[in-house]
Amino acid sequence: MEKGERQKEKTVSLQSGGAEIKDLSFVDGELLEVPIDEIPTAKKHTKISTEIETPKTKNENQNQKSYLQYVFLPLIFLTVALLGGWRISVTDDAFVFLKPPLVCLIFATILLVLFFRANLIKLDGWFSENFSTLKNIANATILVSLFAASTQVFNALLPEQGLPFWTFAFCFFWTLWNNLFAEFDTKRLLQSLGGLFGLAFVLKYLLLAGLTAPASKSWIQGIFENPAQEAFTWLLDLPKFAPATGYIQFFMLVFYLIGLFLLKPETIDKREV
Amino acid sequence: MKEKHIQTLGIFLTTFYIMFIAWLYLVEPKSLEELPTRAQTTIENVTTKTQVAIGTYEVDQAKFNEGLKAFRADNFIVARDNFERADTEKRDARTQFYVAYSFYRQGFGKISNDDALFKQGLEQINRVVALDKNFKSDDANLQIKTPVELKNEFEEGLKVTASDFNPLKVLRERK
Repeated sequence: MEKGERQKEKTVSLQSGGAEIKDLSFVDGELLEVPIDEIPTAKKHTKISTEIETPKTKNENQNQKSYLQYVFLPLIFLTVALLGGWRISVTDDAFVFLKPPLVCLIFATILLVLFFRANLIKLDGWFSENFSTLKNIANATILVSLFAASTQVFNALLPEQGLPFWTFAFCFFWTLWNNLFAEFDTKRLLQSLGGLFGLAFVLKYLLLAGLTAPASKSWIQGIFENPAQEAFTWLLDLPKFAPATGYIQFFMLVFYLIGLFLLKPETIDKREV
Repeated sequence: MKEKHIQTLGIFLTTFYIMFIAWLYLVEPKSLEELPTRAQTTIENVTTKTQVAIGTYEVDQAKFNEGLKAFRADNFIVARDNFERADTEKRDARTQFYVAYSFYRQGFGKISNDDALFKQGLEQINRVVALDKNFKSDDANLQIKTPVELKNEFEEGLKVTASDFNPLKVLRERK
């Protein structure tokens, strides 16, 4: 065979497993000399699954996906919303339900905008005039539950009052604001949020909780036994909650991240396109 | 199950769960044991508000009678408690008039009146006036029949005048 030889082939029909491939119009390029023993042999086999996907199996899969999306996912997010403001009082183990401050709603709104920007949620994939009204409403309830969960995540991770509250709030705002103008893909956004929330959790429920003086002791006894903790509690206006609060908030955060992982960018069903 | 059924189920479950969470954060129970009590209170409140909205609200007659009995026995604190339970929405002029009257009778003194109770009574009687300007009690045991008269008693009782130092004042009777 000569180098640089142009070979024009007519349309070739290959009969392969019943499929007909047409119009291999031109092969335009160098032809290389290849030793005979290296000539690739066409021994590729296509594995054909012996399991036949029956319409029933397809329906079951579709049902499973629908259950996950319309039942399980909102329940996860709403559980996060339930746990996010839940604290346990250190004095009498009483439940304390803290309503989210306004700043949490603002942060949650920015976070949702970020989700849309990073294509974690595609607006036209969730709401469309081609969908049925029921589907649009069902999708809206998922987003409402996501918003409630996001609000409560910030409620859980922000310190309750005083200087730490404003410091954390500023840091959250700064990060979210910067992220709004950054180029994100879904994976990076989730990594960034995981890091942000993880850090906030560690700072609040490990560091600040460690600085808080135990409530069982009297003030004077506390000053003598542990002056540093008493001083930090007083200076930073730290609330005293039972250790169980940290565990509740840990699982809340885990549920939230699982929920985000399960969230699909779009809910378009092939049958509806 | 069809997809639309799953979507409907999801909408109902989500709505119910959202309402439960909102209720929980509203009533703020201190423990799990407190949940049924709070739920019962909420149901009662909702029922009353609904009755008010649709115009079928009525005073709890049994509680009112208990209150009246305590009022006539000069047990005014118990009387007020029962009246307030009987008319939780504070919409019945007659019940509210008795509440105001209980402040008058409890606060009345031959030498000096209890100003704090009289002030509360004045606030209460203003509520009666707002509810029904033309209210007139049909209770024969009450000497003061109208809110205007009772209001006058409260206002006069709160004023410090020369007549307050009249020694004959001790002879006056509670109405």
